[in-house]
Amino acid sequence: MKPIDPRLVVRIGPARRYILVTAGLGLLTALLVAVQALLIARMLAPVLAPTPLTGDGLGWLGTLVPTSARELSSGLPLLAGVIALRTLTSWLQERLAHRAGAQVISELRSQVVAHAAAMGPRWIASGRGADVVTVVSRGLDDLLPYFVRYLPQLALASTLTPILIVLVLGLDWLSALIVTLTLPLVPIFMILVGLVTRERSEKHLKAMQTLGARTLDLIAGVPTLKALGRERGPAARVRELGEAHRKATMGSLRVAFLSGMVLELLTTLAVAIVAVTMGFRLVEGGIGIETALAVLILAPEVYLPVRNVGTHFHASADGLAAADAAFEILDEPLPAMGGDAPAPDAARGAIVVTGVGIATPDGVREAPSGADVRCSPGTLTAIVGANGSGKSTLLLALAGLLPPTAGRISLETGSAADDAPERDAEVVAQDGALLVDADGWAKQIAWVPQRPDLGPAGRTLSLGQRQRVALDRAFESGRPVLLLDEPTAHLDPDSRDQIVERMRALAASGATVVVATHEPDVVHAADEVLTVESREITEVSA
Amino acid sequence: MSVTAETTRREAPTPGASAALRDALRSTGIRTWPVIRAVLAGTMALGSAVGLSAVAAWLIAKAAEMPSPADLALAAVIVRFFGISRGLFRYLERLASHDTALRGMVELRERTYERLAAAGAGRVLTLSRGDIVARIGTDLDSVGDAVVRAIVPTGVAVTVSLISVGIVTAIIPVAGLVLAGCLALAGFGTAALTARQARIAAEAGVKAHAEVAATSLAAIESASEHRIWGTTSESLARVEHANRDAEAALEAEARPASAAAALLTVSQGLAIIGGVWLAVVAIDSGQVSGPWGTVVALLPLAAFEAVGAVPAAVQQLYRSRAAARRIQELTTPLAGTAFAATTGASKPADNTPADDADAAPHVENRTDPRVGTLTLDRLSVAWPGMTPTRPISAELHPGETLAIVGPSGIGKSTLLLAIAGAIPPHEGSALLDGAAVTPADTGHRIALTAEDAHVFETTVLENLRVARGDVTADEAAEALAAVGLDRWIAALPDGLDTMIGSGGHTVSGGERRRLLLARTMLHPAPVLLIDEPAEHLDKDGQDALRAVVTRLKAEGRIVVLVTHHESPLGYAERRVDLRG
Repeated sequence: MKPIDPRLVVRIGPARRYILVTAGLGLLTALLVAVQALLIARMLAPVLAPTPLTGDGLGWLGTLVPTSARELSSGLPLLAGVIALRTLTSWLQERLAHRAGAQVISELRSQVVAHAAAMGPRWIASGRGADVVTVVSRGLDDLLPYFVRYLPQLALASTLTPILIVLVLGLDWLSALIVTLTLPLVPIFMILVGLVTRERSEKHLKAMQTLGARTLDLIAGVPTLKALGRERGPAARVRELGEAHRKATMGSLRVAFLSGMVLELLTTLAVAIVAVTMGFRLVEGGIGIETALAVLILAPEVYLPVRNVGTHFHASADGLAAADAAFEILDEPLPAMGGDAPAPDAARGAIVVTGVGIATPDGVREAPSGADVRCSPGTLTAIVGANGSGKSTLLLALAGLLPPTAGRISLETGSAADDAPERDAEVVAQDGALLVDADGWAKQIAWVPQRPDLGPAGRTLSLGQRQRVALDRAFESGRPVLLLDEPTAHLDPDSRDQIVERMRALAASGATVVVATHEPDVVHAADEVLTVESREITEVSA
Repeated sequence: MSVTAETTRREAPTPGASAALRDALRSTGIRTWPVIRAVLAGTMALGSAVGLSAVAAWLIAKAAEMPSPADLALAAVIVRFFGISRGLFRYLERLASHDTALRGMVELRERTYERLAAAGAGRVLTLSRGDIVARIGTDLDSVGDAVVRAIVPTGVAVTVSLISVGIVTAIIPVAGLVLAGCLALAGFGTAALTARQARIAAEAGVKAHAEVAATSLAAIESASEHRIWGTTSESLARVEHANRDAEAALEAEARPASAAAALLTVSQGLAIIGGVWLAVVAIDSGQVSGPWGTVVALLPLAAFEAVGAVPAAVQQLYRSRAAARRIQELTTPLAGTAFAATTGASKPADNTPADDADAAPHVENRTDPRVGTLTLDRLSVAWPGMTPTRPISAELHPGETLAIVGPSGIGKSTLLLAIAGAIPPHEGSALLDGAAVTPADTGHRIALTAEDAHVFETTVLENLRVARGDVTADEAAEALAAVGLDRWIAALPDGLDTMIGSGGHTVSGGERRRLLLARTMLHPAPVLLIDEPAEHLDKDGQDALRAVVTRLKAEGRIVVLVTHHESPLGYAERRVDLRG
């Protein structure tokens, strides 16, 4: 598994800056940890040494901390300074991590929402729209622990650990050797444990998931059981499944925790070995007390980030999954929106629908299929048909929001009479593409969908009220084409009559009004009625 | 995808929340001893780290006195032991705490299920599957995490801190005092700061989050509308604005969080300065020996690891509290709605002992004799904020069928809930032999098959036995034949014993409908309510539905069908249209 998603670094500015700054803070921390260890060693060594210290036990590292620090009077203030700097660093690190996390989440969220909003009605209705909201409102939150917990430790593991190993080498090559030899053992053993236990843990994991799913399935069926008067029985079964689930989970944990144990075992055992080895060498005079103390303090620090990276593994996995979900959405190509031709003036002619078919997302059916209608200015056209026959979809096509997969939508200017010879047609959409400027066309359309959104103002209104407001907006927009989707649903008979009256009045004033409806009153008021049907797409016609 | 469901994740820890967690933890039946065992194992693990650091310090300082190697032997063995024991005990601690939590979860899950089963039909039937799964799944786990990630680590932090302080105090009492002060500062200080962070998250964070979800949802779902009306940039600006607020809320949370991080570093630093200072002075003046003084100087380097886990523990505690509260809400009536009254009424159904689980249902459904009439008297239903449905009236005798027709969203399914007795009507009444139906009738005298009725992940036969526990293979085969599934069942690998549902053989929409129809048929209740039986049914399916209804009528049962389809209900002698 990659520790960092390259797309985060390349495409998200705050993420890139944060990773650089964190690496820098990692270097600073490494330096401070080292100086702290050396200072403590300097101060303790004189009182522990059997004979006064002559040479500098810290070798070339002595340049970092002067020998004068052996005196408490100069060592302690230096130590206090280091502590102050470390405090500042950890404050800064945490603060920056939160800020970067918040900024990255915010930026990804904006990008994802903008991208999804441009994906077109079909994509949004396919359930991907729901996915996006889930990703945006909760999924991306997983990036915060990734930035706050995991990345800083990763930065330390790749800065502090190697630097400290070099410093230990400068102090005592044998201890450095022990550390350098054990460190690679950590991943090697973890991989080995993983390989040995993989089959076992996969089996357990599968059993665990199955049992978990079955328990949830049983519980999710409570309403059904209740409706049939059978809700009492399964309590024992819930327990039984729960017990089995617990056993399976424990089985899988027994295996899963092994790698954690190996990690802790190797890292602490290595420190113990370093300590014991130095102890016996001290007796023989093979190493000085000042050196030994410094190494003793530094050795656990070498392993600490490695251990922490292991601890925060989940934060990493969750964070990367969140980023991946977001980039997956961002990487979906946007559908082409409209052509280069300027949009024709819809007020000047009739919108003619010729053999329009629109494939359902699964490609199995066309809804509508083979629709033919002529919507002229000054008339009211009703689209009727069973649920799922494609009434709303046809309105989307007329609005230029969804190009028809078959047939053509065009604007015919000139005489409205069917047999007039000098009609002039301009194709708006044909064969899966909108040919005219989408925004120019949209500007002339007053479309009211079934569940209109009116922004924050609309949220406190009931569906019926919202529909009224949206209809008012459409009626008063002065746009030449009105596309209304079930405008009288959710309304009482009086309001319904009013709506029908206003639609008629607008048509009388020259607007092209198209309405999808189930309502007999509306159908009755229409000049033209189109019944749409859905049809399976047969291999032959394709 | 409801916006409210999204936001509950960071729900405010209201005053009742900690009581809810205590309640939930009590319901887990987790005893003190297993938790103590886990804390002891954890203490051994982190205590090993402290021990390693202390004994290694002693060893090095002792070695500097150049004694005979034999004097170091014991210390060397102890150092190696601690080097091994840390990983080992950590492993044991994790197993112990997870096992304790999981046992508790089994108990809590069963209790929650029982409470859910005993809750009013009105509460249960109106829950969405997503809600149930989210709460029983994720939220129960979150309660369990309170043990693993909050209680045990806090216990370990206390014990390891006490051990560290004890060791240092025994050598240099003043240094012990300093260490104790620093550990307390780190533990209590970070706990208070993290609690503050959690509170900010619960207040500003939850609000900002809800706004982000709502504006994003509006921007995405109404994208087409925004394009038409040229309001795309405004809707995106609203998302942006909500985003800024969410960022500001996170920023506000970051302040106490970074203060906690700094506090941890500075308290450990102070402990180190104090330790080194006091140790050097004490060794120099001969008050303590070099090796023991070194223990005092170096022990603070290892002593803070346990306390470092406090912020995460506090955060987990807040999360678990919110989860416990949501679980509690799952089984309590919705306050302030017309349905709050229904839970109490379900008591009559509670007399079946839950532990006699397998035997119970067989008896339960057999109790009822025939019913004379089902009367709907100007019955109308409404959700809070919903326009009440048109009042309907009908009188049905055994062998009669009523079809309720209306477009989707008009309240047909809600009406069925009222007829089933699960929820009280808005106006009018539903009467069985002259007495108003109650939640005790739901599933007993009146069986309801909802449109989204659950197909369980088990065998076909067991799915049919959901209606009646003693359905035989022959009865099942016969019912399946009646709904036209005979060929389907013949084609299944194990016939009636084939596993279906998400884990097994997939079932198409039409097959599912027919299966539910067969299940309804097998239910012994004299009144059967079926929601959208014709949905997803082709011509043959419609015929099968007609056959089933005809048969139920012949058996003298009262059938109420609800549909938005116009056509298939010629065989229903009563018909009401909700559109008026």
